[in-house]
Amino acid sequence: MRRPITAMLLFTLCPCAAYAHAAEQGFVLLLPTDIYIAAGAASVALTVILMAILPPGAADRLFATRAILRRAPVKGRHAVSLLVTLLLVTLVWQGLAGPRDPLRNPLPLSVWSVWWIGLVSLQGLLGNHWRWTNPWTGLGAGLHRLTGLRAPLRYPRVLGHWPAVLGFLAFAGFLLADIAPTDPARLALAVGLYWYAMLLGLVLFGPAWMVRAEAITVAMRAYARMGALGRRRGRLALGLPGWQILARPSPPLALAVLMVILLGTGSFDGLNETFWWMGVLGLNPLEFPGRSAVTGANLTGLLIANAALLAIFAGALWLGERLAGTHRPVLTAMRLFAPSILPIALGYHVAHYLTAALVEGQYVLRALDDPLGRGWHLLGLTDFYVTTGFFNTPHTVRTIWLAQAGAVVLGHVVAILLAHAIAIRDGAETRRAVLGQAPLALFMIAYTVFGLWLLASPRGL
Amino acid sequence: MTLKTTRRGALTTLAGAAGAASLPLWARYAQAQTSEPIRIGFQQHATGIGAAYGRWYGRTTDAAAKLINDNGGINGRMVEIVAEDDGTDPKRGAEVLEKFANQHGCDVGFGTLFSHVVIGSAPRAGELKLPYFVVSEGHHVASGMLNRYTLQPGITDVKSQVQAMAPYVAENLGKKVTMVFPDFAFGHDHRDFFTAAIEAQGGEVLEHIAIPPSETSFTKYFPKIPRETEVLYHVMVGPAVLTFVKELGEFFGPSRPEMFGFIDSLEAVDLASPGLDYLDGTYFWEGNPRHAQEDQSEYDKAFRAAVGVNERGASISDPSDVSTYAHMFGCWETLHVIKAGMEAAGYAGPNDRAALIEAVEAMTDMPESLAHPQGAKIFNGKTHQVFGHQYISRVENGNLVKVHTTSIEDTLYPDEVDYTTQSF
Repeated sequence: MRRPITAMLLFTLCPCAAYAHAAEQGFVLLLPTDIYIAAGAASVALTVILMAILPPGAADRLFATRAILRRAPVKGRHAVSLLVTLLLVTLVWQGLAGPRDPLRNPLPLSVWSVWWIGLVSLQGLLGNHWRWTNPWTGLGAGLHRLTGLRAPLRYPRVLGHWPAVLGFLAFAGFLLADIAPTDPARLALAVGLYWYAMLLGLVLFGPAWMVRAEAITVAMRAYARMGALGRRRGRLALGLPGWQILARPSPPLALAVLMVILLGTGSFDGLNETFWWMGVLGLNPLEFPGRSAVTGANLTGLLIANAALLAIFAGALWLGERLAGTHRPVLTAMRLFAPSILPIALGYHVAHYLTAALVEGQYVLRALDDPLGRGWHLLGLTDFYVTTGFFNTPHTVRTIWLAQAGAVVLGHVVAILLAHAIAIRDGAETRRAVLGQAPLALFMIAYTVFGLWLLASPRGL
Repeated sequence: MTLKTTRRGALTTLAGAAGAASLPLWARYAQAQTSEPIRIGFQQHATGIGAAYGRWYGRTTDAAAKLINDNGGINGRMVEIVAEDDGTDPKRGAEVLEKFANQHGCDVGFGTLFSHVVIGSAPRAGELKLPYFVVSEGHHVASGMLNRYTLQPGITDVKSQVQAMAPYVAENLGKKVTMVFPDFAFGHDHRDFFTAAIEAQGGEVLEHIAIPPSETSFTKYFPKIPRETEVLYHVMVGPAVLTFVKELGEFFGPSRPEMFGFIDSLEAVDLASPGLDYLDGTYFWEGNPRHAQEDQSEYDKAFRAAVGVNERGASISDPSDVSTYAHMFGCWETLHVIKAGMEAAGYAGPNDRAALIEAVEAMTDMPESLAHPQGAKIFNGKTHQVFGHQYISRVENGNLVKVHTTSIEDTLYPDEVDYTTQSF
């Protein structure tokens, strides 16, 4: 039978996947989301107004840090990285030899649920764990120490971070448009080959390769700027997420572009599931024909969404420079303000994947209980069944939705604060900073509405 | 002495090996075969639009395989379920069947639900000569559009389900019907099959109201419902179903016509959810009664226990996690049909695939049993489709109470194909 009904029940492993669920989406449609969206947008607008009337240093002070540890450099990160490499090799082997079911195989669960949802969020919320969990650096350092050889080639400076931009777009294309990104064997090949290619780059070009060309590391380091924890004057410091952005010089242009693309990709990840997008493609949202039918469309959409976001963002900055009379070149403004996009991207990442995390977290637990599919119960989960029951009652659905909306709104509020603090730090007095930011602030308020609309929209995927 | 014994042992082993090597090839093959498990490729909707069904199909399949293995397996061999995700995508579906046949050494393919995946995969099953047991409810098997390798022996098809509703509706709810359905193939099946069936009962459909699939508000369609409507037949699906029910309540209030729907609209949704109380006193088709009935059979009880669902059709570990109870029994029953077919055919390996299909084609009566907990069935070997009882339940205080069980005869229709005339 045509089972479109299940359009309402879907929940899938993360790529392509809001864990939409019949009842969940049904209950969301019954929530007064219009009011919630208006309230969210109003909170962001209020932040803008507060920034205009409060004294110039107010935003800056919010990002003040507190040193929590006088920290001698902790050793052992290469050892941890080597362990992660070992784990990755095991996972790739399991991807090729383990269970074929992506919800039982540890590789897709580790890549899409643990890393892409969990570790990326942690990197942004907490701080740079990628220094330790990067699967290349330990091996790279080890090889260097063993052979005593230096990288034979010099990384071409002219390339800057652009290889990472291309690499991230390729990753996003795999996530959003590949026919089967969760298929264990397919993913094992992709992960294995990518890991090997990047290791080769590291050996040939040295660490510059990691921090300029390797897309995952570059994206992770970008998100690390959002972390509440970070190093400041040799100490471990804690502050409002975003403080590290203010503490650092503005990024080079390619890295600034990547920061915008993090948001553009996340937004398209949400958009491509909506009834609206299905309508654009002329597809019946209740009878989604499968990813193989939308590969080209999703790739095109991904590129258009990112290009459009870059254009709108640059346009808002250009207008702001005119209004404030500061007349910085738009590319300079882009480098200056792109990091203020990061909290929006992070907020949406958390919001978009929250439902998936609730379900996939259970599959991860089940896989930890029996990592090699041998019928073990290492965690003692003998009668453990994955549940989606929390999508089935109105109050849990409302709680989940409001948590998602909260993440989106908070992201935008922090973005407004950051943008304002950046402008003041760059020497503008309050009036100019506010004037110059008016277009950017309008953009962020509009983006709040857009982000919340994405969460409230019926989805056909 | 020790040396001597060892040498003798070695010699014996060698002789044995030589003996084995001198066995004809077929005999060695047969011996290896018997120690191998029977591999059943499970084409699972683990991701994509069908994933919620896929999860419950998986749970049911695992439970059925465990039961079969606990009772000695099939022809003395254990059953191994090889689950591959098809992403609820026809192109991947076909690839998955190829993997079953060429990489995983599966004996059969099994378990597909969504029609477009079945239709996209079945031709490949035919090319690979891989018996393909679908659990889809689609009329595509019995309509003759597939091939001899595709069978649906564990779940009835939508045509028989819909037409079997007409006698009860006409006799008990009313003869003047208005149909509200989503405007695409799923809704059109209901429109076509039910309209014909109710006319055969002397009734009529006053109005067909087709709703665009992307619609999320329905108030503007309700005025099209004719005043003299006695029964509103609804098969809305998708995330807007709860909105549909809410707006229906606002439109009609307490003075509504009788309502009849398919539980597909609310499969895996708790009927005790707020807002659904408006459905109290309305009727639903159920493929298998979700809530345990007063006359619950011992088989239904055992089925629930094995799959891990309670008397309300929800997971035993989380009562708010409602199963796809009207459909998932199909996996359980299909696996038992595969077992019966393999036993009847003396199935030993892929060379016996044609014999397995012939053995299933030869099946007719399937009595209610632990292998068929949903009820007795009749298999039609020519159309490769099974027929069985359908249930009509009335919602009473959030409970689905069975009020009617159709006869199997009510579900029959003339053959549209004879697959047995096709060669292997």
